[in-house]
Amino acid sequence: MKHITKVYGSLYANDDVHLTLDKGEILAVVGENGAGKSTLMKILYGLEQPTSGEIYLNGELQHFRSPHDAIAKKIGMVQQHFMLLEPCTVAENIVYGREPRKNGLFFDRNAAIRITEELCDKYGLHIDPRRLVKNCPVGLQQRVEILKVLYQDADIIIFDEPSAVLTPQEVNELLATMRKLAQMGKSIIIITHKLHEVMAVADRVMVMRLGKYIQEMPKSETSIEEMSFLMVGRHIVEREVPPQETTGTVLDVRDLVLAGPDEKNILDHFSIHVDAGEIVGIAGVSGNGQSELIQCLTGLLPPTSGEIVLKGENMAGRSVGDIRNAGCACIPEDRYLWGCAAEATLTETSIMAHQYKPELSRHGLLNSKGAKAFTQKLLDDYDVRNSGQSQKAGELSGGNIQKLIVAREMEQNSPLLIAAEPTRGVDIGAIEFIHNKLLQKREKGDAVLLISSELTEIMSLSDRIYVIYEGRAAGEFRKADATEEALGILMMGGTLHENE
Amino acid sequence: MKTNETRDAVWKAVVLRGWQALRQPLVATVFGLLVGAAVILACGHNPIEVYKEMFEKSFFKPYYLFSTLTRATPIIICAMATGMSWRAGYINLGVEGQMVTGTLVATVVALFLPGPPVLVAIIAWLAGMAAGALYALLPSVLVWKFNVSMVITTLMLNYVANYITSYFVTYPLKDTSGDGLALQTPEIAAGMRLPRLSSTSTFNAGFIVAILVVLFMVFITRKTVFGYESKMGGFNPSFARYGGTKQVKVMLITMALAGAIASMAGSAEVFGLKYRYADGMLSSTSYAWTGLQAALIAGLDPVGMFFVSIFLSGLQIGGSAIQRSLGIPLEIATIIQCCITLFVSVKVVIRFTKKPKAVKEGGKQA
Amino acid sequence: MNSAYIASVINSTLRSTTPILLAALGCAMCSRVGVFNVALEAQMLIACFTSIAVNYFTSSVLLSVLAGVLSGAVVGAVVAILQVKYKAADMVVGTALNLLVGAITTFLLYLIFDLRGKLVDNRLVSLSKINLPIIKDIPFLGRVLENLTIIDYLSYIIAIVLFIYLFKTVAGFRTLSVGINKSAAESLGTKATRIQMAMVILSGALCGLGGVVLSMGQVTMFTENMTSGRGFIAMAASSLGMAHPLLVIASSLFFGLCQGIGLAIQNVVKAQLTNTLPYIATIVALVIFSKRSSSAKLKK
Repeated sequence: MKHITKVYGSLYANDDVHLTLDKGEILAVVGENGAGKSTLMKILYGLEQPTSGEIYLNGELQHFRSPHDAIAKKIGMVQQHFMLLEPCTVAENIVYGREPRKNGLFFDRNAAIRITEELCDKYGLHIDPRRLVKNCPVGLQQRVEILKVLYQDADIIIFDEPSAVLTPQEVNELLATMRKLAQMGKSIIIITHKLHEVMAVADRVMVMRLGKYIQEMPKSETSIEEMSFLMVGRHIVEREVPPQETTGTVLDVRDLVLAGPDEKNILDHFSIHVDAGEIVGIAGVSGNGQSELIQCLTGLLPPTSGEIVLKGENMAGRSVGDIRNAGCACIPEDRYLWGCAAEATLTETSIMAHQYKPELSRHGLLNSKGAKAFTQKLLDDYDVRNSGQSQKAGELSGGNIQKLIVAREMEQNSPLLIAAEPTRGVDIGAIEFIHNKLLQKREKGDAVLLISSELTEIMSLSDRIYVIYEGRAAGEFRKADATEEALGILMMGGTLHENE
Repeated sequence: MKTNETRDAVWKAVVLRGWQALRQPLVATVFGLLVGAAVILACGHNPIEVYKEMFEKSFFKPYYLFSTLTRATPIIICAMATGMSWRAGYINLGVEGQMVTGTLVATVVALFLPGPPVLVAIIAWLAGMAAGALYALLPSVLVWKFNVSMVITTLMLNYVANYITSYFVTYPLKDTSGDGLALQTPEIAAGMRLPRLSSTSTFNAGFIVAILVVLFMVFITRKTVFGYESKMGGFNPSFARYGGTKQVKVMLITMALAGAIASMAGSAEVFGLKYRYADGMLSSTSYAWTGLQAALIAGLDPVGMFFVSIFLSGLQIGGSAIQRSLGIPLEIATIIQCCITLFVSVKVVIRFTKKPKAVKEGGKQA
Repeated sequence: MNSAYIASVINSTLRSTTPILLAALGCAMCSRVGVFNVALEAQMLIACFTSIAVNYFTSSVLLSVLAGVLSGAVVGAVVAILQVKYKAADMVVGTALNLLVGAITTFLLYLIFDLRGKLVDNRLVSLSKINLPIIKDIPFLGRVLENLTIIDYLSYIIAIVLFIYLFKTVAGFRTLSVGINKSAAESLGTKATRIQMAMVILSGALCGLGGVVLSMGQVTMFTENMTSGRGFIAMAASSLGMAHPLLVIASSLFFGLCQGIGLAIQNVVKAQLTNTLPYIATIVALVIFSKRSSSAKLKK
């Protein structure tokens, strides 16, 4: 790929980027959120057109107007957000696009099953063709995506942030798969910001930053520190968090059970506690009950049984309003689904959950001046870039709307703050800012419950860490005792005694 | 200079914002009128002359202006009822049914409740509003408890209400005085009727009622916490729930208000214009559907809906005028207003989808 | 109540079902690709008018049917362009079109035929009634299947064909994928928007066929707004039948039955009250089956 430039409006997502890939090698493209790696790959896969620049395959110029063209040239992509048909079987998903036919028109589903089994044998990946994708755990779903790509006979396979949803052990399996595919002659590009994976599997590394190509080198000639420096443009110092005494329990979750649709509990006698003046992190691969836990704690979903004791009072099953009033604020995990409304103005977004406070309303009548003043304080204190309070929330960048949401929830000054994926999809400046704010809340003496799928975030901020697996609290660690390896084992459902 | 700066700022805030808000409906109106012109041409008439007559005989001559405003009264109120529910995210297509139910109840109370006229009239209006509210609460409760489709349920109830009121007016409540052929109730007492505002036409105090309803809605939407919560619920129900809004309470209050307001539309017609309830008087005139279109064209904004309702009413009055004089069917007005709505709709994108679409995270902002 | 009476009620049911079934199948196909098509009334009503108008001038049943189906497809095309291609809001487009077609048909009735209310004329040719050779002599069954038109039979065949298409063919699988996960389908090279538009136009044609049988089947006339909410009842039928062609047959028959019963008891209960039966039944049915329809499962 030469001189690839992609412009969105006035934004250079890719700015004159080059990329070369040799047969049978694994190339890692690294960079922070927003560096332009995904855009570059989307161009290669035909999902986007470059504003300028060319792509050559084996010396021939290519024009990919759609994924169809890329697939025809044997390029496959395993995307970060899976493109799967959940109510359909594994086999149906794999053969989509080149379905085996009976009599020309009819879908030969039995042949699809046979084809899947043949693929599994050929590449050493195992999966049940008849299983419905929605019943497959995330790691298996990714395997379906890989098999899809292999069915299309791809020679070049792109992996976009593949480990985002996997446990450390599943990541190792994935990396082993990649190495095997490379040995079989496939050429692989992996996009990631997880540098230890790069060191584990890549042959060459290419660094991007702010849409530009920075540098490339063989893996053997670089290190994690060097890559990190190139990615960010400066040295990042490990955060030092001074230990502090806790003063009393704020949140006590006892034996929380949430029954699921098929006799399996989504939350299975889950018990944790969070004290004032500490940050408690919950580590775990998404899909193990975190979302439901947050919904139970905030009152969006009533638990089947168990207690949620907030400041001494059991709030299980109570309404959202009651729980908020009892002293719980929440930074939601999906800011666009729960945290804001795209068409609401910034003022309207900021006063949510504050609208009954005396400075904002009296007897059901809104105080517009008070609302504007309140909003302006949030915008200023948290440096939210905006073009006026009547701007629509959907127009803010991801980092800025997240900062506004954090501001709004911090302003509740509640004894307990639940922070769910607080820095997901946010640029690095905002990440540091938000982390600082969470630590400030801890310093103030409040309790923070941090739920995140980014293990580094959990390990850097938390005083105590629980691991959640299949709705149970699988282990509890003090900060000093927590290692990535131990956490990873528990996140996968293993037990620690095995590895002694 | 400070004053020049502030004047520029005010200009920017008011005029520019007003232009941005009005631009879409205005452009759509122009296109709608163009389509109408094409249809008029197809009928063999000169569009410019026809439009000239249409607008003269709806807005520019006092007698016709009063007709327009009289007809606009129920349309405005129906638009308010529709707007109130749609803003909160509840696609209420049942305004006609709610209006009809409430109006019949109000008429019955006015006819059969003994007492001083003014007092009875007030009770009648209130009874009508209660009936309309209940008729709107019926589908709302079904939606709440059984998660059925608000769209289909409210629409079905329109037909039910129309048929049942038709039954009552045809049999039990029919006015047997006179030739007994007309399917209508007897007239309500003179003391209960809304005063005429003009000596030369049927323009009456119902219009004042309409204005009051508009002011009420402006107040609710801009000044109350309830209005705020219902607006947020309309934008993103999950967001509203997350913030502690009691969604069910908001839905029930919103729909009840919508039903009560809808009934006032019909009551204004009965107490101000016709003085009796005649079979189909509210449905054959399509007040509710015109009100719905006014709401859509005006983007559910109360003040916008007020003016658009008057405009659509004028189109219809003008339309019947040219039917009398030129033979062009009066449905031309409906055709024009539907085309305006369609042209407006092309820009209205995310508003009515239930799940908010995630905003694309494209690259880094400067 | 003797068996002849019951047989005639069933016969009446079958005839009432057909327009609903056709419209419901159209709605189901739209649902399957993720499009909420509210303009079913419009697609039907335009066909009612066009078929009668063409019938008046040509006295040809074939041309009338074709005209009806085509006009329904044209309205479907408008929905496809505005709603699918330009992403206009579904409720707005649908409601506006329903009202627009109502106005247009009334307008044209006056303009072309100088009539208000309805068009009835001796020269109008109705759809030929079929009485199957051997069956018509069987006592109960003969009465049940008496005087049905070819479209009545065709509607069931169409339902079966659609079932086979969706669940047995490759093209049908890809069509379903558009409704399951549009971006997944697109990322794999399927032209999702094109398929959505095609299904909407198909629903227009199906509703058009339903409109034809409405105006040329049991009666041969056009009445203003003669669809009377059938489009929305069809939406309920599609929803009850979970957008599955074979289940939609059952749900449409249910609503046809309500209309049939309503007609049958009209000499006992006043017409206005019996007319409410299908609409009330729709609501009751939606409530009773609400738990089932809350999670639409893909049936094979």
